[in-house]
Amino acid sequence: MNTTTSADIRHTEGQRPAWSVKIVLALLVVLGGTGCGATPPAWFRLNMVEATKQKLTSDQERQVATLLAAMFGTPDDPVALPETGLDEAKLRLAAGPVRSDIVGRKNGLYREHCAHCHGVTGDALGPTAAFLNPYPRDYRPGIYKFKSTERADKPTHADMTRILKNGIPGTSMPSFALLSETQIDALVEYVKYLSIRGETELGLIRAYFELDDDAEGKLPETREFLVGEVLEPVAEKWKTAADALIPVPEMPADIDMVASIAKGRELFYGDKANCVKCHGPTAMGDGQANDYDDWNKTIVEWTKEVVGTDDKQWASRAHRVLDGDSLEPRTIPPRNLRRGIYRGGRRPLDLYYRIHAGINGAPMPAAKGTVPPEDIWHIVNYVQSLPYELDGELGADRPMVARDRF
Amino acid sequence: MSHVHRVRFTIGASATLAMLLASPAFADDWGTLKGRFKFGGAVPTAAALKADKDVEVCGKEKLLNEELVVGADGGIANVVVFVRDKDVKVHPDAAAAKAPVLMDNKNCRFEPHVAFVQIGQPLTLKNSDSVGHNSNIATIKNPPSNSLIAAGAESNVTFKAEEAIPAQVTCNIHPWMKGWVLVRPNPYGAVSSADGSFEIKNLPAGDIELQLWHEKAGYIGEISVKGKSEKIAKGRKKIKVAAGDNDLGEMVLDANLFKK
Repeated sequence: MNTTTSADIRHTEGQRPAWSVKIVLALLVVLGGTGCGATPPAWFRLNMVEATKQKLTSDQERQVATLLAAMFGTPDDPVALPETGLDEAKLRLAAGPVRSDIVGRKNGLYREHCAHCHGVTGDALGPTAAFLNPYPRDYRPGIYKFKSTERADKPTHADMTRILKNGIPGTSMPSFALLSETQIDALVEYVKYLSIRGETELGLIRAYFELDDDAEGKLPETREFLVGEVLEPVAEKWKTAADALIPVPEMPADIDMVASIAKGRELFYGDKANCVKCHGPTAMGDGQANDYDDWNKTIVEWTKEVVGTDDKQWASRAHRVLDGDSLEPRTIPPRNLRRGIYRGGRRPLDLYYRIHAGINGAPMPAAKGTVPPEDIWHIVNYVQSLPYELDGELGADRPMVARDRF
Repeated sequence: MSHVHRVRFTIGASATLAMLLASPAFADDWGTLKGRFKFGGAVPTAAALKADKDVEVCGKEKLLNEELVVGADGGIANVVVFVRDKDVKVHPDAAAAKAPVLMDNKNCRFEPHVAFVQIGQPLTLKNSDSVGHNSNIATIKNPPSNSLIAAGAESNVTFKAEEAIPAQVTCNIHPWMKGWVLVRPNPYGAVSSADGSFEIKNLPAGDIELQLWHEKAGYIGEISVKGKSEKIAKGRKKIKVAAGDNDLGEMVLDANLFKK
């Protein structure tokens, strides 16, 4: 076992003398060792979809697992390097098995409330995941849909807190409003941790491809590479999320709502905003409906590669991975806007964010740059009127909710 | 006293340094690299795409699957060739050339199918159609973007980081539309044209490493020149560039490489 180099990753070694012990423990977990006692140690699953996609060897898979354990610890014993900007005390409250600590405070919040759907690794492969539609979010690519920041930017701490408190209407994500502020705060921090870890894992796996021949298929185990080149660019985006807030001009207080809704309708069906193309002529999501979101698309594209390959050994290995490490891909239906259920929140502001920046990870494009802010407000007003719009075409002469039809 | 000395010394040293830095550029040798990719097998016929959205515009011209485009004479279009070396010396003319690269949404397809840009060089996404499009760019090291592009409008994207592989560009409104963009830190890249040929100008003379990629084949694992086959791991091929013209000749890519 080569542990000498991994220990260099943490430069403030003096603060944590048990570091080498931790690595050995991590390795035991990685190598499949189980502890004795009531609760076997939990372990993070490797991102096998990406690992097989990049055709990693088993030695390379082992190196990724070892490096990740050294940089992030284990699900029972998380580590937050200072560069992550994460608060390790919060992570400890959320991590590990469900238990009470010495002062009687509940620990292991993530496993109590989240892991059964989102998985211990945050890979959305918890035991209940396959039965949910939509599937739970896979945190590992670090992509989040419902936020107040520009499309490619990370959600703020407040955005994630809001989702935890409100839940996501129209999905299986419940509200956790009954948890204390401290507990929600710890869970948000832990979800960020799983994302930063997952993105670092993707970075490591993808880095093999770019190695020079003289590296002999091994990633450099230096601080400069692991922290400087892989971890820091990921962590930086999380730290600066609040700098990327979407500017929202206020909706004029004296706005003529009838006129605004009419203008919004025009934009909805028009060639510029083009909402009709996906949300459909009835706004019930009956437009472009055979597209995938980023998470499912990864699996679809990867399956294509596997099926097409001549490398039989790799293909059979990859197929075994498909059985356990991903769910059957599903297309993403454009939202039915007549139901009045808005996943990212139903405030006009939430709808403004969605239209301005699009939805990261989903096909919904950004109107920013194409549709001026005042027009975005008109579309918001029209969308909000849709569940109550008189539907003359269908002969109904009363305010209608689409749900009535099903 | 000693201060004065130091100042004089510094001025003297920088003057010498400036002279040293300025002169070698003229002494450098630069070469042009050419080559042609040919399909090793029966010329495949491209399948028709089902353009079932905005038929009045997208159905005007018969759209074909462009994952593998092989000309009647066997030339393979859209093979990407770029220089892999990170610290490659860049010709002053080439470095300065950062005019926007156009990627047009025309007849509900991307033209060109594969675009090559440098870091900081704008990629202009234009919409020449009378229907709206959006361009969803799935870059890995640059923030991914997805903007609406209204009929007749255009939108510029610039990239800050280099990418190791081309990123997919798609339109979510018309999901059959697929294109690619490769972002590199230098101007040394080319995409083979309809007859399979490519040209990279102003390469520094000496040893460089090329990387070859194709949408369907991924990184090209094997090429064959004049009947002699050569395995190239991860599409990497080391070559020596001489001053003046360099021709890699006709490189045959076996049909099996494209079976995906």
